[in-house]
Amino acid sequence: MEKKKVLVVDDEIDMRIYISTVLKTSGFEPVTTREGGEAIRKAKEIRPDLVVLDVMMPGEGGAETYRELKQDPDLQNIPVILVSAVKKDSFLHYLRMLNARLLDPIPPPFTYLEKPVEPEDLAEAAKAALAT
Amino acid sequence: MNNDLLIVDDEKGIRKMLEITLADRGFSVHSAENGKQALQVFRKVRPSIVLTDIKMPDMDGIELLRRIKKEDKDVEVIMFTGQGDMGLAIQSLKNDATDFVTKPIDDEVLGIAIRRARERISMRRQIREYTENLEKLVDEKTRQLLEAERMAAIGETIAGLSHTIKNIAGGLRGGIFVLGQGIEQDDKQSLMDGWEMIQGNVDKIRRLSMDLLSYGKYAELHYRMEDPNLPAREVADLLQEQCRGAGITLQVKLSSRLERFYFDPEAIHRCLLNLVTNSVDACSAEGDDRKEKFITMESLPADGWGVEYRVQDTGIGMGEETLKRIFQSFFSTKGTMGSGIGLMMSKKIVDRHGGQIEVSSQTAVGTTFIIRLPRKTELDEEAAAEGRQTGSRRISKG
Repeated sequence: MEKKKVLVVDDEIDMRIYISTVLKTSGFEPVTTREGGEAIRKAKEIRPDLVVLDVMMPGEGGAETYRELKQDPDLQNIPVILVSAVKKDSFLHYLRMLNARLLDPIPPPFTYLEKPVEPEDLAEAAKAALAT
Repeated sequence: MNNDLLIVDDEKGIRKMLEITLADRGFSVHSAENGKQALQVFRKVRPSIVLTDIKMPDMDGIELLRRIKKEDKDVEVIMFTGQGDMGLAIQSLKNDATDFVTKPIDDEVLGIAIRRARERISMRRQIREYTENLEKLVDEKTRQLLEAERMAAIGETIAGLSHTIKNIAGGLRGGIFVLGQGIEQDDKQSLMDGWEMIQGNVDKIRRLSMDLLSYGKYAELHYRMEDPNLPAREVADLLQEQCRGAGITLQVKLSSRLERFYFDPEAIHRCLLNLVTNSVDACSAEGDDRKEKFITMESLPADGWGVEYRVQDTGIGMGEETLKRIFQSFFSTKGTMGSGIGLMMSKKIVDRHGGQIEVSSQTAVGTTFIIRLPRKTELDEEAAAEGRQTGSRRISKG
């Protein structure tokens, strides 16, 4: 069976290596990218089975990338694991505020992991997301 | 309020009569027969109440009233007026007399006038006490507020620090995991990656602790008469090797037309070190694959200033939003790489010198920082006192 592809979006090389290593040891094939715009292009190109996204990035910010992923008809069904130093409640609040202005509300992520992320938690979340 | 009372009247009979009546009411009575004598007695016994006739030869009652009020505006002065002296009575009230009593003096009317005078004295004392208490209260509350503000600042500092430390701890943990996988799988790549992550994060801790150390260190300036090129030269020597290693050309252009003046060379060394280190980071940022990378550090003469330092780089630059925030504490553009202390501290050092720090930057083009220091040729007392302690501090290399 072909390995499931996971797109890892993080602006820091340390986090990309770490997350990739966790995913690799869990039997997945990680593909890494640095920032938001590139992430969307890459997602369209490789059609990953899962996206792991950092929501505290410079540039347009991971939250914006998340919105784009969820509003793109080609990509919106791909499960997303958000990884962030931002508290989960803060992010969900941001999402509620955003949804209040949108016609099509954006669903919450499949899993939200607060940094620092334990390798077991990330591996489990990835397995759960890919089992569906 | 003392019990002393002064009677001024040129008529001996009236003085005698009042002396007896008022002594009877428990006052310690003094008397004078004219204005001049009254002032002498007044200065000696400082009575809280003065009773004076208006019509007297030489200095009249109103003049005496003015002079007494000039010396002590809290003294209560009661005027005696003759029948039909309404004009004089009003004039004395305008000069802040407590009351007037018409002659011939009625005992009861006099009693009321004196009671009013005493009430005014005690009221004034109460008001003064209230005011003093209020001032004390304001002082106390101000102190509490300042304390609360300091605590809030400390809280913010700790929150910023713990975020930075949490990130480093996370990085170390990640590095250990990757390294562990490398050992388990016997995978050279993971071994190298993990090792690098650990090294990088250990370096971050080292930088953070250096920043924190120097943060407190430059709270006071240590002025010294020095060549402004000295700190620039030291920083260049310190970073030349690192720049070469990172593929960056560090150009140093120091003006020979600068005169020595008073500044804190070690603090300025720290500022320039911060700026050039930032430039190195800006030139080494990920995703920037341009071949030629330059950092220029210059010292120039500037009109009205002792020196102008310029640190210019061809790094990734900053956008407007970022520029607005760079001097804030714990704001860092370097993600977990920066502590957010360096630039804030540099600005503080330059501010304390009475200098200027300016920045201009363009994304993907580069950044220029300018520092200007005033040409201080004499030490004021405060700076001289600080200057005497010079020598107790060493420049930290790093």
